[in-house]
Amino acid sequence: MNRRVLALACLASAAAAAQGELVVWHSYRAAEKAAIEKVVAAYNGSHPGAKVTTLAVPYDAFADKISAAVPRGKGPDVFIYAQDRLGGWIEAGNTVEPIDFFLDEATRSRFIPSTLEAMTYRGTVWGLPVNYKVITLIYNKKLVEKPPADTKELVALGKKLTDRAAGRFGLAYWYSDYYYHAALQNAFGGRVFDGSSAKPVLNAPENVKGLELLVSWLDAGILPAEPSTALITALFNGGKAAMIFTGPWFLGEIDPSIQWGLALLPRAVEAGNKPLRPWMTVEGAFIAAPSKRKDTAYDFVKFLTDRPSAKTMALEGRQSPSNKAAYEDPIVANDPVLKAFRAQVEVAVPMPNLPEMTMVWSPATIMMASVAKRTIAPKAALDKAQAEVLKAVAELHRK
Amino acid sequence: MARSRREQEVPHALLHGILAIATLLTIYPVLWVICIAFSGKQTLAIADLPATPGFFDRLRAVIPWPERWTPANFVSVMTDQPFGRWVLNSIVVAVFTTLFGIFLSCTAAYAFSRFKFPGRRAGMMGFLVSQMFPGTLMLIPLYIIMVSVLGLGSTRLGLVIVYATTSIPFSVWMLKGYFDTIPKELEEAAIIEGASAGTIFWRIVLPLAKPAVAITALFSFMTSWNEFILAATFMDREDMYTAPVGLRFFVGGYSQQWGYFAAGSIIVSIPVVLLFLYLQKYLVSGLTAGSVKG
Amino acid sequence: MRPPSHRLRFGAGVLLGAAAGIWLSHGILDDARREISAETEVRKATVTLQALATLVQRADPREIASTWQARTPSIAQLRIARGMQLLASSAALDKADRAAPRRLMREEKPLYDRGQRLATAVTTNREEGARKAEIEVEWLPGPRLLLAGPLEENSAPVGAIEIETVPLQPPPKAGWDLFALAVAGAVFAFAVLALLIGERRLQLSLAAAACLGVALLLLGRWSIARGEEDRRKGMTAIAQRIEEQSALAQSLGGATAQWDVDEFRKPRGEIPGGHLRGSLLAADAVALALLFLSGLGAFHHLGAALRKNRQAYVYIAPAILGMVLLVFYPFAYGITLSFTDSNIYNTGKSIPEIWVGLRNYAEILGQFSFVRRSETGWVFNYLNFYWTLFFTIVWTVCNVSLGVTSGLFLALLLNTRALALRPVYRVLLILPWALPNYITALIWKGMFHQQFGVINQVLQMFGAAPVNWFDRPFTSFLTAWATNGWLSFPFMMVISLGALQSIPADLYEAARVDGASRWQQFKAITLPSLRPALVPAVIISVIWTFNMFNIIYLVTGGDPGGSTEILVTQAYKFAFERYRYGYAAAYSTVIFGILLVYGVIQNRVSRATEA
Repeated sequence: MNRRVLALACLASAAAAAQGELVVWHSYRAAEKAAIEKVVAAYNGSHPGAKVTTLAVPYDAFADKISAAVPRGKGPDVFIYAQDRLGGWIEAGNTVEPIDFFLDEATRSRFIPSTLEAMTYRGTVWGLPVNYKVITLIYNKKLVEKPPADTKELVALGKKLTDRAAGRFGLAYWYSDYYYHAALQNAFGGRVFDGSSAKPVLNAPENVKGLELLVSWLDAGILPAEPSTALITALFNGGKAAMIFTGPWFLGEIDPSIQWGLALLPRAVEAGNKPLRPWMTVEGAFIAAPSKRKDTAYDFVKFLTDRPSAKTMALEGRQSPSNKAAYEDPIVANDPVLKAFRAQVEVAVPMPNLPEMTMVWSPATIMMASVAKRTIAPKAALDKAQAEVLKAVAELHRK
Repeated sequence: MARSRREQEVPHALLHGILAIATLLTIYPVLWVICIAFSGKQTLAIADLPATPGFFDRLRAVIPWPERWTPANFVSVMTDQPFGRWVLNSIVVAVFTTLFGIFLSCTAAYAFSRFKFPGRRAGMMGFLVSQMFPGTLMLIPLYIIMVSVLGLGSTRLGLVIVYATTSIPFSVWMLKGYFDTIPKELEEAAIIEGASAGTIFWRIVLPLAKPAVAITALFSFMTSWNEFILAATFMDREDMYTAPVGLRFFVGGYSQQWGYFAAGSIIVSIPVVLLFLYLQKYLVSGLTAGSVKG
Repeated sequence: MRPPSHRLRFGAGVLLGAAAGIWLSHGILDDARREISAETEVRKATVTLQALATLVQRADPREIASTWQARTPSIAQLRIARGMQLLASSAALDKADRAAPRRLMREEKPLYDRGQRLATAVTTNREEGARKAEIEVEWLPGPRLLLAGPLEENSAPVGAIEIETVPLQPPPKAGWDLFALAVAGAVFAFAVLALLIGERRLQLSLAAAACLGVALLLLGRWSIARGEEDRRKGMTAIAQRIEEQSALAQSLGGATAQWDVDEFRKPRGEIPGGHLRGSLLAADAVALALLFLSGLGAFHHLGAALRKNRQAYVYIAPAILGMVLLVFYPFAYGITLSFTDSNIYNTGKSIPEIWVGLRNYAEILGQFSFVRRSETGWVFNYLNFYWTLFFTIVWTVCNVSLGVTSGLFLALLLNTRALALRPVYRVLLILPWALPNYITALIWKGMFHQQFGVINQVLQMFGAAPVNWFDRPFTSFLTAWATNGWLSFPFMMVISLGALQSIPADLYEAARVDGASRWQQFKAITLPSLRPALVPAVIISVIWTFNMFNIIYLVTGGDPGGSTEILVTQAYKFAFERYRYGYAAAYSTVIFGILLVYGVIQNRVSRATEA
């Protein structure tokens, strides 16, 4: 009896918090869009008086639209986007609302810790993590019986399955892209910035070791030249790449004739048997700073990240939710894809959300291209990139 | 008589040869777009070459022909989202941009061509200058004017104004050049007969400038047709999006669905081709413009 | 028409000039005094806040807060928060069950956020040098001031100390009487002189300038004196506040510290005088300009021109209005930004605070580091501005020539009378224009792929070696050139087709009768007749190609090593990758300047050949 009264009181307070119209922007399409719309409908259904509406904005226009609209008070109340632009929006001001104040321990502990870390900028939490994306090992079951547990096995297996003359490769991934390469560098404890500060340390000794590991794989001859997503797709679908490192976005492109499986990225023997640690991107739900309905907005983002919503997004949107409890659901727990990414995220590292990160990509791309072509030694390439990033950061920070 | 002499001068077979080669080179990339659109797949084509490809393997690889033809991508594009609605929005915006743009640039170009007034050169230069500042940093100030100040966010009118303004400078310059070639004697004769300035403009000058007006129309239409970032930024309602905005949903972020994008691109280019088919009669009136002299 | 009365014109000029100059000067003086007064108040409040912060570090915040508050009448209320806890508050509401210490309530989120923000600022500044404000200042209606600084424990920031002042004195305002007197004086003096001089233009203009000048000069001196006086008073008030707070602090058991500090808690000197003198001189210049414009009849001529060409102006007005609205405001915005150090860390600051003058331009134009040493010898620095400029020019010239020649050539072929299949060719040839270039550009990029691209396949079919297109600047340029040429020729073709229709057929007829060859006909008839339509198309094409962002961005992406960047892609990178908006704006303005010079020269040349 007493319990029921309490529950009623809770409901009443939730309903009171959920008044007025709430606008949510996201960049989802197709199944992902349907899933979030279903969650929104569930919210509207369970919160009489609330009216949440959604707007899908193309990913390519999303960040610019937020930067133009939100600081002028014209934007949404809540927006969902990857964490890589978070630092930029915070520094620009009047865009994202800090939510530390709202965040109670129960909510805090509902998330996979690293996903919440991705929402944290200079000690403050700015959004609730909704879904994450991370790269893992996908292999062709016809060619690979048992996925390799460590890099030694990976190279051995890779050598066995590589036949360069026939255009077959044991391993294929977009290794000249820094995002993919980061898994190797992070295994050694590498990093782009020193701690949470904006001091670039691209040429840290750990990063050198990461690049040297890549070079050793190139020397082993198990990787194709000039990798790109199109090439990897073509190779894997043609049965010519036995193992690839890629993320959930790739699954829709696999040819139905290929039997594939997912596995953890191998442990790096070279790094004292530590696992390869890929970068993860986390889609966070952020409350717009000029929003007039921040309480409702927070109530909604909490709903968006609770277990039932996470389940909907996992099963219908095929996304990997940041909510831990969602994986206790029997259907989710038995889903091989969701399970695999859940296991991989345990060792994943949030991609830096500092605004200075955008200055890293250009020099890093040039660096990776030259190392991939073997025109420069890893250390020298990293030194060069570090010098460039350092200069760009210094020019921005100059007073 | 003139016709037979001409045909003697340049054999049509040669012209056909040159045009055929030019056309082939031109449509080759387009054929790839078509191939991707009908392949039912989502990747930008990458040839599936054997390990040591021979001449014919390579030939097979350079011919844009999908493994199998399927309209699946078109069906998905049209049914999974209100793409038809977005194309319709684009048409509405483009048509009004065209009408608005033609009207404004015709009147302005006529004034620049026919009247001598202080500020004439400066005005022409001003139109040119307006094209010079790179647009990369213009998004925020444009947003401030159109949305914050004028309150034209999420309206088609806002887009029409921006697009028409973007297309005016070129249109004015081109129309002015064309008006300059129309002899003034015609108008002078009309003035003597007591025609008003408006009548002269609408009844005499404009009909003679049809080819230029047709180009202006095509150009204005195209200016609005493929624009993406302003449309995506100004519109806060999904049912107001234009086709380029809809197209970008397929390729942003992590997954790149080029099959859908290609199919959508083909759908989007059909109205342009239709418009061109309609307008081209003004561009090919044969050499009948000799009647200008009257 | 009656000859114009110089006396009347100069009289109107003096009135207009004096009115405008005085109106501006009044505004400038008011602004300057408001600024000085605001600065004074902020600094007084800062001293107070810093004194409180020093005291709070030494003792129990609640005790200190109540005694200090009681003895500091300039402060209406103070609040001290440590994380989620309200440690002390003197706000009227915070009594009884709301009394501190307690947990912060929902409506106090801003105070909590402030604490977090200040803590971040302090740690960031310690780690990376001063960049973020450690004291936040906010103006509240009243006007009252709200100031907040970090609460520190063992020199670690843990919360916020916030004070709110009592309503402040409004800044002193100059009355209009003296200003009105100056106008009246100037006009009266000129009227007397004009009567004496008569209709003699030179003497009249000298007299008018003298009258106006003297009035403005006197007023200016008076204004500057007011500004100086305010500054002196301000400094005294700050010193007084420091003394008062020192005494209070000592009585509460604390010692003095550095209190008169800026937002980074760095000590500061005198109140800056501002730009009062400069601004006043600018206002005077405006006034004199108005005087001479009126006196020499500029307004008269303007009005006459407007009346005479009313029809022309009505015709062009709508188009011009659109331009002014949508183009010239963004222009002004961009050019203003180019003189600042605007970047992501100072978007909230006003323009004068981040003004750097010509620094961005000096940096861009002063890049002479063409080569750089590396372990393998000297390397050419492709990120150099002048290389990028050179490349942009080559890119533009090549593209426009290719577009114009191929477009014109095809148009001439298509204009052949009685050629079969013409409509088919025409439609197929405009397809590059009709399809969204986002996909076609990437198809082109794919065609140049080293391993799988069709171009290398064709090369290999005929026994040639595959080319790694994006490895060398020249071949990389070729890829972008081919793509852009393909994309842009249909436009030129359509323009040429249209222009060909304006050539009277009888011209060719006559030429043929005279026995001219086809080439002679082309040179003597076709080309000159195409000029009026083609020249604008070429000029516009040059401008567009110079700023053709998409193709470079999508096809080469600047590869290899930034050698195929053009100026506009560089500007984009500075704005969106490096967040240096001011620098990027300067880059854009340089691009604008180059194109403007081109436009003016081209205009001169075409006009010269026209005649």
